[in-house]
Amino acid sequence: MIAHLLRKLGWSVFTIWAVVTATFFVFNVLPEDPARVIAGPQARPQDVARIREQLGLDRPLLIRYAQYTSQLVRLGGGTPGDGTLSLGVARIDLGVSHLKRRPVVELLGRALPPTLLVGSLALVFQLLLGTCAGVVSAARRGTIFDWGTVALTLVGISAPTFLIGLVLQYLLARGLHWFPLDGYGRSFAERLHAAVLPALTLGLFGAAYYTRLIRDELLGLLGQDYVRTARAKGQRELVVLLKHALRNALIPLVTVIGLDLGALVGGAIVTEKIFRWPGIGALSVEAIVDRDGPVVMGVVLLFSSAVVLANFLVDVAYALLDPRVSRGR
Amino acid sequence: MLDPRSLRRFRKNRGALVGLGIVVALGLYALLAPALSAFPPELSDFTAPRTPSGTLSGPSARHWLGVDHLYRDVWSRLAHGARISLGVALLATTLSSVVGASVGMLAGWFESTRARLVDTLLMRLVDIGLSFPYLLLVMAIGAALGDVTLSTILLVLGLTSWFGTARLIRSKTIQVRGLDYVLASRALGQSTFRLLLKHVLPNVAGPLIVVASASVAQMIIAESVLSYLQVGLPPPTATWGRMLQEGQSYLGVSPRLAVAPGVCIFLAVLGFNLLGEGLRDALDPRED
Repeated sequence: MIAHLLRKLGWSVFTIWAVVTATFFVFNVLPEDPARVIAGPQARPQDVARIREQLGLDRPLLIRYAQYTSQLVRLGGGTPGDGTLSLGVARIDLGVSHLKRRPVVELLGRALPPTLLVGSLALVFQLLLGTCAGVVSAARRGTIFDWGTVALTLVGISAPTFLIGLVLQYLLARGLHWFPLDGYGRSFAERLHAAVLPALTLGLFGAAYYTRLIRDELLGLLGQDYVRTARAKGQRELVVLLKHALRNALIPLVTVIGLDLGALVGGAIVTEKIFRWPGIGALSVEAIVDRDGPVVMGVVLLFSSAVVLANFLVDVAYALLDPRVSRGR
Repeated sequence: MLDPRSLRRFRKNRGALVGLGIVVALGLYALLAPALSAFPPELSDFTAPRTPSGTLSGPSARHWLGVDHLYRDVWSRLAHGARISLGVALLATTLSSVVGASVGMLAGWFESTRARLVDTLLMRLVDIGLSFPYLLLVMAIGAALGDVTLSTILLVLGLTSWFGTARLIRSKTIQVRGLDYVLASRALGQSTFRLLLKHVLPNVAGPLIVVASASVAQMIIAESVLSYLQVGLPPPTATWGRMLQEGQSYLGVSPRLAVAPGVCIFLAVLGFNLLGEGLRDALDPRED
């Protein structure tokens, strides 16, 4: 089993490397010149050339790639505040933002907490709502409630994130003044309050999706022998559902959560843009519009590492739960 | 693909029919766009009267959905936006289905042969593709190209979204590969290419259509997100995403400017989702 997991881990590292390399070349081969964007449309050619030189953009592509990757992970601890991230014996250096002239690690570190706040709230929201609605819908299958839930989930799945965000913002913030329109807030309480709408926006798709998943799983499991046994013992329907069926229905859910991280990332970009939330998504949109290569690379590295790590953890969970996996094919 | 029994199941499925209806209606709206609208989508009609309070003129016999902040006909812009949304989504899905199905069938076919390396390499590529922050990648390419045209959007969307399809088609191909008549054909010496085309493709076509239908919905969202984030097709081209983004500033005075494209996006996505679910239920019945 250790060998199996080590192989998976090696593969995960390779995947991240491949993503970083591909992004580097895609972003640097494409025609638009970052120096031109920084200097502005009316800058003199010699100024653009000077900026290109300052940023090191005049060097050959392969040399820049070699420089980027060789400084990416270095052995030995850094000094605090030198713009690197220390991870025990190694430190990670993502370079310096072209436009903001700050270390990318610092920018990411500042943008991460807001994104984590909204992301975790959204995850809790979609799990709670999805599981509850799914169980109740399955318990009352065939009734108007069930039919309504299925119809609502279809709406939730079909409404793009930015549409949900705008509607919620219009109704709950502009109309009813329950929540601030956008922005981050100063104290933690303020931030929590401001995070509710973005979290709802981000989590609604997942909630609808999980509701369907749980409902379908439960309905599929209700024909199983152990469910019939539980019913034959005279247990109430809700107890049968919660105690016997739900536990098995949660297994596919765990897999989906790992895979869903990518969808959450995509949603976060749009959500943070709508609610002016100073997180990773907003940072990435800004960096892409400004052609700020190092920041784009940093964000891509962070996002893909998160997705790969989540998938690795799912693999670990499988290996622990299912002996067939650990013994190989 | 759609044998009589599947067709009957599809026809009895109310949701699927609603989805088909929405898709057909939007398709007609897009196709007939020039005939349906008296005004070109990018023309400002400065004769459009202002209301007494000075706000933009609302729906009238002349402009069915009123005009936007640049006095352009909203109805006409919506219709031309439908052309772009549906056209991009359908073509990009076709592209990603062709690539995804080819890769999936090749990988699945070689999975248990001596050329297993082909499968391993292709599936590793798929793994890497699925770890990409997809929307970010699309945005980065769009922004870095500077001058975004319809074909760049098409290529970017089509070529970054085939990974999931490939994985699904691979697993279906592995199932089909072991079937007796496929084995018989192989024993008779058919070439791999003909085997894939004649025996595997018809068998994976069902799941492929289901995935493609859901993918059209995703493409519509992706295109409108790009436009909404201002990295899609540049103005003055009418796209639903950009209309929504522009209309957002006028939510207080003329909510219709944002609501109309929003409803269109939602309906289009809903239509293709319903259609996809209907097709799935019709082609792959879990309980009869």
